Amino acid sequence: MTIDCIEIGGKVVLHVVGRMDAESAPQFEGQCDSCISEGTTSLIVDLGDLSYVSSMGLRSFVGIAQKLKNKGGELRICRLTGLVRQVFEITRLNQVFPMYESVESAVLGG
Amino acid sequence: MPGTPQSLTLIAVPESLAPVTEFVRKGAREADLPELRIREIELLIEEILVNISRYSYPEGAPGTVAVTYSVPKPGEMEIEVADQGVEFDPLAADPPDLTLDLSQRPVGGLGIFLLKSFASSLNYRRHLGWNRLSFGISANP
Repeated sequence: MTIDCIEIGGKVVLHVVGRMDAESAPQFEGQCDSCISEGTTSLIVDLGDLSYVSSMGLRSFVGIAQKLKNKGGELRICRLTGLVRQVFEITRLNQVFPMYESVESAVLGG
Repeated sequence: MPGTPQSLTLIAVPESLAPVTEFVRKGAREADLPELRIREIELLIEEILVNISRYSYPEGAPGTVAVTYSVPKPGEMEIEVADQGVEFDPLAADPPDLTLDLSQRPVGGLGIFLLKSFASSLNYRRHLGWNRLSFGISANP
């Protein structure tokens, strides 16, 4: 799994590529924690190129989103596809996080 | 030979996930399953192995995990994961409350739910000191 961190329209966007499993989920959590410790209160996570996520990955999403919410911000997720979309829908996490079809719409929010 | 079960036995530690995943991928290719189904199998295997490596054996004293697959016919695969740890029937676990909002949602507890959701069939039995959890995956569920 690789994570590219970019800033678009003043928002931090994490582009996550590959597989998020028990081994790699802590890497994602660590990256998010670094952003939070630097003062970021809202994160956009682009999952368009993530091909796999297990419950260990979901655990990271929920934990990070709760930290951001406690700081008055939120975790926005965009471009779900394939198995990752299925997993979010089955667990109804697609109704817990603000979901967007594109990075642009996630940056705009609303 | 089609239908002949294939087995792999390893120590129940997180590092065993990669070789077990490769092992079941081989079986899934034999079964001619589509890529999305293969990823679902990987997901179920990870959920089961993570549970076993975390909870089945005493900390610092991991036992074995035995994974067996068979391909009864093209487009179908059956997998059994067995361990000799503490008795645990994942089918008896309470379902998570998926209606909770973010602040109330526990961070974990979705692995077994995913297992139940994706498997075409799912069975558990405790036999001669072994937990034996088996599931099936079909190309056309």
